[in-house]
Amino acid sequence: MKRRLTIAPASDEEIDQSSLDVFGLLRRVFSYAKPHARKRNQLVALVIFRSAALPALAWAIGAIINGPIQSGNLTAILLATGGFAALAALVQFGFYFRIRHALELGEAVIHDIRNAVFEHLMRLPMSFYDRTKLGRIIGRMTSDLDAVRVGVQEIVFVSIVQVGNMIIAGALMLWCDWVLFSIMLAIVPVIWLLNRYFTRRITEDQRLGQESFSRVTATLAESVNGIRVTQGFVRQDVNADSFRELVADHSRYSLGAGNTSAIFLPLLELNSQFFIAMLLVVGGYRALDPDIARPVGDIVQFFFLSNLFFEPIKTLGSQYNNALTAMVGAERVFRLLDTKPEWTDAPDAKALPKIQGRVEFRNLSFGYDPSKPVLKAISFVAEPGRTVALVGHTGSGKTSIINLVAKMYLPTTGTLEIDGHDITRITSDSLHRQMAVVHQHSFLFDGTVLDNIRFARPDASVQMVIETARQLDCMDIIDALPKGLYTQVGEAGANLSTGQRQLVSFARALLADPRILILDEATSAIDALTESRIQRSLATLLQSRTSFVVAHRLSTIRQADLILVLDHGRIVERGTHTELLTLGEIYAGLHRHFTQSS
Amino acid sequence: MMVVMSPAAPPSRDNEVSDWQVIRRLLAITWSYRVEFLQVVAFQIALLLLMLAGLGLTGVGIDFVRFTVQPGAPEPHWLFGIAPPDAWKPTQVMVAIGVGVFVLAAVRALLTYLAQASLNMLTQGRIVVDLRPRVYDKLQRLSFRFFDANASSSIINRVTGDVQSVRMFVDQVLMQTIIVIVSFVAYVSFMLSVNVRLTVACLAVTPLIWLCSTTFARAVHPAYRRNRELVDQLVQRLVESIRGMPLIKAYGCEAGEIRRFQQANDIVRDQQHGIFRRLAAYNPTVGYLSQLTLVVLLGYGGWLAAKGEIPIGTGLVVSAAILQQLAGQISNIATIANSMHQSLRGARRVFDILDEPVEIQSPAAPARPEKIAGRVCFDHVWFDHGEDPVLQDIHFTVEPGQCVAIVGPTGSGKSSVMSLLPRFYDPTDGRILLDGINLRDFDVDDLRRRIGIVFQESFLFSSTVAENIAFGHPGASREVIEKAARIAAAHDFISELPKGYDTVLGEAGIGLSGGQKQRLAIARAVLLDPPILVLDDPTAAVDPGTEHEIAAAIETAMAGRTTFIVAHRPAMLRRADLVVVLDHGRVTQIGTHADLMAREGYYLSALEIQNPGAMP
Repeated sequence: MKRRLTIAPASDEEIDQSSLDVFGLLRRVFSYAKPHARKRNQLVALVIFRSAALPALAWAIGAIINGPIQSGNLTAILLATGGFAALAALVQFGFYFRIRHALELGEAVIHDIRNAVFEHLMRLPMSFYDRTKLGRIIGRMTSDLDAVRVGVQEIVFVSIVQVGNMIIAGALMLWCDWVLFSIMLAIVPVIWLLNRYFTRRITEDQRLGQESFSRVTATLAESVNGIRVTQGFVRQDVNADSFRELVADHSRYSLGAGNTSAIFLPLLELNSQFFIAMLLVVGGYRALDPDIARPVGDIVQFFFLSNLFFEPIKTLGSQYNNALTAMVGAERVFRLLDTKPEWTDAPDAKALPKIQGRVEFRNLSFGYDPSKPVLKAISFVAEPGRTVALVGHTGSGKTSIINLVAKMYLPTTGTLEIDGHDITRITSDSLHRQMAVVHQHSFLFDGTVLDNIRFARPDASVQMVIETARQLDCMDIIDALPKGLYTQVGEAGANLSTGQRQLVSFARALLADPRILILDEATSAIDALTESRIQRSLATLLQSRTSFVVAHRLSTIRQADLILVLDHGRIVERGTHTELLTLGEIYAGLHRHFTQSS
Repeated sequence: MMVVMSPAAPPSRDNEVSDWQVIRRLLAITWSYRVEFLQVVAFQIALLLLMLAGLGLTGVGIDFVRFTVQPGAPEPHWLFGIAPPDAWKPTQVMVAIGVGVFVLAAVRALLTYLAQASLNMLTQGRIVVDLRPRVYDKLQRLSFRFFDANASSSIINRVTGDVQSVRMFVDQVLMQTIIVIVSFVAYVSFMLSVNVRLTVACLAVTPLIWLCSTTFARAVHPAYRRNRELVDQLVQRLVESIRGMPLIKAYGCEAGEIRRFQQANDIVRDQQHGIFRRLAAYNPTVGYLSQLTLVVLLGYGGWLAAKGEIPIGTGLVVSAAILQQLAGQISNIATIANSMHQSLRGARRVFDILDEPVEIQSPAAPARPEKIAGRVCFDHVWFDHGEDPVLQDIHFTVEPGQCVAIVGPTGSGKSSVMSLLPRFYDPTDGRILLDGINLRDFDVDDLRRRIGIVFQESFLFSSTVAENIAFGHPGASREVIEKAARIAAAHDFISELPKGYDTVLGEAGIGLSGGQKQRLAIARAVLLDPPILVLDDPTAAVDPGTEHEIAAAIETAMAGRTTFIVAHRPAMLRRADLVVVLDHGRVTQIGTHADLMAREGYYLSALEIQNPGAMP
């Protein structure tokens, strides 16, 4: 059998670089600079100033050597160098603002885009999160936006300055000696072609290198996360061999990219050296030939100015790759921003008035993918204050029912009414304010226990929180924590035990005092004493509100007013525990299994 | 030009190893590649000399033209005294000089390529390729203690980023330092040969440049560090909001989340202004300082040239070019210092791993019994993680083929008992005997091959179903794999998968139900037909509705093996030959299910609470 450790993960949202709408993207990124128009305009002025100032400085060096120094006039030398120092000071002073403004503008733009993305994320319905990996969203907000930031802070303005330098230095040289300038101009296409050829090759090599590197990291991640299995099954040597192969493979690509640029950069340099050689020969000839007799100073001038003509080609070449990364980053961020929510509240949706909590499913069908229904023709009524237990195998549709009640998704066909209001005609906010949810995994946010209980009602007083905990009879458990209510729960509640997390999420739900309660019971077994506390608290929580419970505990199911047994998206049995046991069919069978295995 | 500065390293918490020790070790690593390294250094020195020669020749060209055209101009200084024959016409001399400059440049281009290629070969082709598998290999052999104590992202980074930091010491720190020193010496000697006093005057400003860049680096490092923290917090905020999205939506808390995110976002933006101001001040300052050296050169050097003491070409023009190069090299020092910090930090983390002792070792002459019956004896076993005891005086014996169920509340030490068997940890006191032989006397690998393990949450790898089952024995035939799958009641559902045994599982085994994953894990455990089976709460992460599927798999898998299982459900407990109840690391009750149900105690009350209606 072929030895294989891992398969490369699906690559992240490929963007075809050739299809990028460069100007559209630039316009859109810079539309975020509008609120900072003054800074932006000053920046443009500074950039133009710098484009002209750098060639002027280079020209001044040549001019001082050719003028005052050649003629040996001491006062003129001092005056000229003094002038040069002053001009240089002015240029650097401008440079200070050019850097600072660009950095601040870039940060401001990224800041605003980040806020926009986050707000958009909050608006997207759950279905978006079902198909989008967390890592992808983080990638948009971090590496992609960082690339855009570099684009705004550096690439755009540096590129403008470089192009400006080339034009103005070129004009100065043309004015100085057109023959030498033409020779220089002849080299430009060579450089340009070299640039094009090599940057393409390097980009391709780098892309392959990154792919191979993502295989290395994916393998590593699996090895680390699966270390217990690896050691338990004595796989170290096999893994080490395949890892060595992967590393060697990656090294081949890195070497390829490295060596290509090792050819490219000296070739570029050779071009400007070729010009210096030509400068000496042609410039020398033109100075030496008595018929032409150009001043020797021309050679000196060109020596300094030509740098400002060749350097930008190199710089622009290296900026080109960064610019592409920035563009791809921007494209990805904007794609996320442009993701249309699959549904939003109807424009004429009304706020739900204070409800009793009667929930009715009428011939409702639903599928996360409409062509694959997971709920079929569901009809039932949950009377105010009653508990509905949902029972069935994994994939039978229990979770879909509670997702629909919570308006995380909309029904495909049929209706769902709350106190007689069609769920599609009411605003989500007004519904959610009268509802509370307890999830299977009792997710907690990083912060204190108090913050977490107050999640839905940040304005609730500490007294109210304590009151709630007392009602659940779990204040002693909270008090036993290192800092009581003020204990930090850690990332995703890691500092608390499973049982403690569940109690906190019960308290969170109870404090919200909802009319409708949705509860997805935890499956994981916890120790018996905590378990009994949780059962008792649960009874308090369910009291006198309409509750939907995906139940895994027999005691919970037994207390329900209505049990719905689901199978493949249909309700196959309904009734109370005793009724269904007497019926002696599916539920009774499940019950038998349950009591045997538990 | 911008100075690209990577955020600084957080202060190392590990003060036991001094920087100097790490450097010495890095130097030792470099020494093992000394031939390649010195080759690159030689290339670099040659390059520098060629560059100076090219510049000098250009200067000579300018001076020669002046000397020919302008009467009274000083005679050019021919390099190394190589003057053209007097018979040559001036234009011929110029062509010769031009050709000379170009040939020098061409040789330089070739050498630059060779230098870079050998550096690449040294770093990416040798150092990284040697080091990564070494670290990886070591990682795989470290005990679970290490993995318990370190976040997985940090461990992964040691093999990826931190290994690059070691590499960085070679090319970014050591090589760059040598280049800076050599160029400094070469540039200064060249300028000294032109004029001593001019050199001193021009170099007067350079210490300021150096001072500026080091002060700057020191000033922004803490700010960058803070920035990194704030950005991490912002990303953390984002991650939490997305993970908690069902909750946020269900309670309608979007607006509050947006407000909190904006606050964190504002903090990130505002904190950067200090960095921006410094960054914006730094670049022009260093730029101006290097221009000041040019001003000195033009003023003082111009005066000297006007007096005819130095030539314009080899004197002024070449010095100007050299001063620019020198300024670049000096601001390089700050970058080197920064790389040094980074590489030391990374290297420490790599060395940490390489030095981490392999706790679990096989003895020099391990016991290799032909066949293992499976009699296991815990002989007064104590165990801790360095703090409070996790297990205290555990003592019981299991006969071959028996099934032991371990019961107890969370944190009572059940998983610890399980992980002592394959020697993931060793007892701190007492011993565990297998067929009368201490576990420590076995070869570790051999021992583990004789124990089949199923973990609480089965980790499956992203490869095919067959490869996952054959994980412990990649050479297993399809027949053997299918047999294992049948034992684990997994053959039927595997056959229904799109490509059967060749179906590729997604990352971490996504695409299968919890029950199916556990059955694959059981198949994986019984593949090598081990005499001992260890099942650490295999139904913990499984929907109680599908639990019976696994129960059947466990039942067949157990046949003929000594089995240890952490269990909660009465059905499993009834089936066990021996039930061991743990509480706070001690055995509080021991006996058969029936024995324990007849006695007051944890066992009875736990089963009653769990299932009051289904009392046996």
